[in-house]
Amino acid sequence: MKYLMIALNLALLAAGGPAWAAPADETVVELRYENRKFVPQTLNVPANRPFKIKIVNAGKEAIEFESFKINREKVVGPGETATISVPALKAGSYDFYDDFHRDVPEGTIVAK
Amino acid sequence: MKTYSRLALLGLLAALFYARPAVAQLDPFEFEVYPAKTVPRGMLEVESLNSVVTNGSRHGEKGTAKGTLPSQSMWRTAVEVTYGLTDHIEAAAYLNLAKPRGGDLQYAGSKFRLRGSLFDPGELPVDLGWYAELAYARTPKFDDQKLELELRPIFQRDIGDFSLIASPKFEKILVGSEAKEGWEFGYVSGVYYRWMRAFMPGLEFYGAIGMMKHPDPVREQQHYIFAVAKGEWRGIEYSFGPGFGLTHGSDRVIAKFNIGLEKYIGALFGPSSGGLF
Repeated sequence: MKYLMIALNLALLAAGGPAWAAPADETVVELRYENRKFVPQTLNVPANRPFKIKIVNAGKEAIEFESFKINREKVVGPGETATISVPALKAGSYDFYDDFHRDVPEGTIVAK
Repeated sequence: MKTYSRLALLGLLAALFYARPAVAQLDPFEFEVYPAKTVPRGMLEVESLNSVVTNGSRHGEKGTAKGTLPSQSMWRTAVEVTYGLTDHIEAAAYLNLAKPRGGDLQYAGSKFRLRGSLFDPGELPVDLGWYAELAYARTPKFDDQKLELELRPIFQRDIGDFSLIASPKFEKILVGSEAKEGWEFGYVSGVYYRWMRAFMPGLEFYGAIGMMKHPDPVREQQHYIFAVAKGEWRGIEYSFGPGFGLTHGSDRVIAKFNIGLEKYIGALFGPSSGGLF
């Protein structure tokens, strides 16, 4: 029974992710990649609060969203959508880029 | 009678001591600290993990030498190929080569492993990962045991510009004279200052204490601290630095130099819908 409960909990976690990590009022900002550029190029987010970035790759090639400053990288295939969690950021600017296509203009996350 | 009992007990203890497995060992082919996150889905990474013992032991089975060849001046190279299977799981194969002092570069063993992350970075208070490895070693030159299983949890926490990684290691001999022994314990840990992408200074810690049930005396355990520089420059990832043994059972000085290249070759699977796969 104990192992059944553990397996059930693991299955629930695998299916839905950890509930404690996604409070209802969490900010989710959308970032699209299309025509070889990020739209919008500036993401405005609240400072000192964790948030999520929903990355929509509307292009025809895989991209790797990457930001050294916030220590995040994510491969998103063509037509795919991915979401990344970002910790609370101090007020300031944090650049991001497509690591697969460095000629694509960089974007900026502005926390304020 | 008491005297006989004491003698018998002493004899038994001596026999146990004599029969103890070899001293605590770590993997000298891989001085690398893995983060909780894995190689991205669809990415192929080729790495060369290199180390040389500049001040080690002139006898086999001492320091980082797990086999009959001494560690002094031993060059070790592991060629590692890793592929990101999913957003949370990667698979890797290693070819271990070594060049002992005065000898030629030769085959020393192979390893296969799976590594995974639990959820995406930042979703949990501490980022979690896991590591499972099967290692075959060429005996008796480079190891005294043929096949070993290694399991590790990985814990990572980013605090400001610092990344802290801790990974306790649990090892079990599957084929070899010590196959009936229990689990060995060790660790791989690191702390890095995320200064810039091209240059991140840090400290890495590697160690092995021996069997969990009866650890080796501290003096015979192996503990190392490495001062490292790592980063990525023009698509090439690197990590290098000197390591210093902290105990009598450790080699004195080891230098490591790891280099890697990543290339996206296409994903086998779609994006993960949960946090485990």
